[in-house]
Amino acid sequence: MKFDLVIAGVGGQGNILATQVIAQCAIDAGLNVANTETKGAAQRGGSVTSHLRISDETIFSPLVPHGQADILLGLEPLEAFRHIALLSSNGKYIINTAPVPTILSNIKIDTYPSQEQLLADIQQRNLTGYFINATQEAKNIGDALLVNVVMLGAFSKVSNIVGDNVLLAKLLSLVDERYHQADKLAFECGRRLIRLEG
Amino acid sequence: MQAKFMFGNEAIARGAFEAGVKVVAGYPGTPATEIVDHCASFPGIYAEWSSNEKHAFEVAGGACLTNQRAMAVMKHNGTNAAADYLMHINFTGVKAGLVLISADDPGGLSSQCEEDTRILIHTYAHLPMFDPANVQEAYQMTKLAFDLSEKTELVFAIRPVMRINHAGGMVECQGSITAGKPPEFVPDRSRFVMSAVVEKEYGGELRPKMRHRWLNNKQAELKAIMEESPFNWIDSSEGDIGFVGCGIGYAFLKEAEKIYGQSLPIMKLGTLPIPEKKTLEFLKGLKKVVIFEEIEPVVERLVKQLCFENKISLDILGRESFLPKEGELSTNLVLTAVQAVFAGKDYPAPAQGKYIPARTRTQCGGCSHRGLLFAMKEVVRKNGGVVTGDIGCHDAGTFEPMKLQATIYCMGSSIPMAYGIQKAGFDKPVYALIGDSTFFHNGLTGLASAIFNKANITVVIGYNSTTAMTGFQPHAASTNNLMSKDVKPINPGELAAAMGAKVFWCNPYNVEDTIRVITEATQEEGVKVVVAEALCYLKFGREGKISYQPVPVAVDIDVCNGCGICIRTFGCPAITLVADKARIDESACNKCGVCIHVCKRGAIK
Ligand code: SF4
Ligand code: SF4
Ligand code: SF4
Repeated sequence: MKFDLVIAGVGGQGNILATQVIAQCAIDAGLNVANTETKGAAQRGGSVTSHLRISDETIFSPLVPHGQADILLGLEPLEAFRHIALLSSNGKYIINTAPVPTILSNIKIDTYPSQEQLLADIQQRNLTGYFINATQEAKNIGDALLVNVVMLGAFSKVSNIVGDNVLLAKLLSLVDERYHQADKLAFECGRRLIRLEG
Repeated sequence: MQAKFMFGNEAIARGAFEAGVKVVAGYPGTPATEIVDHCASFPGIYAEWSSNEKHAFEVAGGACLTNQRAMAVMKHNGTNAAADYLMHINFTGVKAGLVLISADDPGGLSSQCEEDTRILIHTYAHLPMFDPANVQEAYQMTKLAFDLSEKTELVFAIRPVMRINHAGGMVECQGSITAGKPPEFVPDRSRFVMSAVVEKEYGGELRPKMRHRWLNNKQAELKAIMEESPFNWIDSSEGDIGFVGCGIGYAFLKEAEKIYGQSLPIMKLGTLPIPEKKTLEFLKGLKKVVIFEEIEPVVERLVKQLCFENKISLDILGRESFLPKEGELSTNLVLTAVQAVFAGKDYPAPAQGKYIPARTRTQCGGCSHRGLLFAMKEVVRKNGGVVTGDIGCHDAGTFEPMKLQATIYCMGSSIPMAYGIQKAGFDKPVYALIGDSTFFHNGLTGLASAIFNKANITVVIGYNSTTAMTGFQPHAASTNNLMSKDVKPINPGELAAAMGAKVFWCNPYNVEDTIRVITEATQEEGVKVVVAEALCYLKFGREGKISYQPVPVAVDIDVCNGCGICIRTFGCPAITLVADKARIDESACNKCGVCIHVCKRGAIK
């Protein structure tokens, strides 16, 4: 058994917490886990990519090789696109459609691709998955910072690598109690979004 | 013992703790930084952030001569700063075990350069090294390195790469902790005094030559140790094409082998020197061998030399002759190489990928550096001056949209470079911009040199009281250190004044005042130091300490004409252009008010 996950996002989106939650669940289940993150320095707003590998065998490299990821969890569409080559042809993407413009696109040195363009580029690769507007849903619940939790909920619906209850319980054990209610809502919302899509 | 999930830096600290390390010193640098923090959390370890890597190594050196196991921690280019001490302690040897961690960053993901410290430490200083293939090995190698260092009297170095330091994996710890010995300093001048003295016992030979011979003679002992090392082995298989994986290269090789779907003859190497007999045994019967190692062809050249000496002829491929010469290895790179070599082809030229808009670095919203960079930009826009830069969060000021600093080299080079430009005859003002941590690292001596040589430059010190870039480590101008919460900071401005510089002060959140102060300083002759003093927002803001009066800011869309100057020249991440008007994202804005000075139309209020 092996399961490779890539979580791609932007600094401040809670990428690392989402990775930790899934990793901890796998460790609790007695599986081998390897993980690495690529992130910029202390500054906010850079790309943050987590690789998480789970297996009952030896894991040699902490990095998911190209074309091997079972799931690509894209917290931001451009970042998801940047790492799309990591996804296996049998894998599934789950992508938050809400863009976070880059600095260079803000000053018109680069052009942030249009949503249609990004989605078309992703679909063109004959991959399957889900597009959800997790940012909008998180805002509806009351806090844009819940994006990662909505995405975790969606993940739990698409993958059964860890049980959804286990995942939610682990998440709640890692965050302050006053956020539990919102986290539960966001998690459920993520699951529901996939149901609608599927 | 049950395996525990750990990051590489934690595993290295754990290995050192179990080996009975007593003194750990380092200077922050990605990817090695967290090792020192982890060490500080273990009981019985004295840990410190030294002012620079050379001093960290020297502190560890002093401790080891006092019979205490010690460790020095740095990133690759930090080891360059420590190279002078390295090239002495290799000849003197050590007393208690001394381990040097020098973390490399293949691909330069978080660094100014991509360099391979194995050349500095092994090829140049002739010291033994371990190159871990995974987090488990990083732990074991650290632990064992202390014993071997003591046994051989040599510094043992470990070269983890980013994908080890910042990778998490399952680690089985032995748990046993080596007991320390009582501290004791016994002078042994024939070893620990490096000087050109005549050694009577050695027939009047000079000490440097005698110690050089001692180090050379050690190599046979090291080779014998590596021959038996648990970190080198052969995974045998059929075929006359063999593959060598060094350090993390082995991890990628094993992944590639799985995907390739056929078992390959593989040798795993984790030590320098390489185990020569074992390598020859592996090469026997092979027609071709491909060597995968991070960054430079260090092992590749050693294998070539070994084959030459043993009159063995086979194709030896690697970084020097076959693989890409730069950049990080990956499973896909190795897989491509394996496929190419079986097909008898060259390594394919990398396909030019489509550019995906990059996410460049900038300062946080509310960062004091942004006001400082903007003020300096206003000054040099008027007087045509040049700004040399240094390492730190402010270095992002050299990118779009600020584009202020014209140079970034290594720690502290801003000051001497600035006055080099001036001495070369450049007739407009020259500025050096340096942070406080960097100032203490290697800026002080440059400043002394500038003052002594009657330079005419303006040095601007961004004094934010922390080493922000690497995650807020304290330094000599902070109010705490790793062991104590109560430290009297050394004020860089007072220090510069004592050295004879004319010193000016400003708060960079006050942009107009900062422009005025820098302009005033520029007009003076000699070495001027402007201390732009304001706490790092990200670190101290959390503790409720900020150096500005928070003001709610918003764009008056009736006044804003959408010129975009606030975005194109300033770049606070909270400001974007929406429907041809600037907009400040309230959730990202930290109310520092600096942008108010940027909009000449007065649309930001
Ligand atoms: S971490 Fe501190 S110094 Fe660095 S960009 Fe953020 S506020 Fe500025
Ligand atoms: S806020 Fe001022 S600088 Fe920014 S776009 Fe509007 S007018 Fe231009
Ligand atoms: S938008 Fe203006 S006030 Fe807000 S953080 Fe950025 S520079 Fe400071």
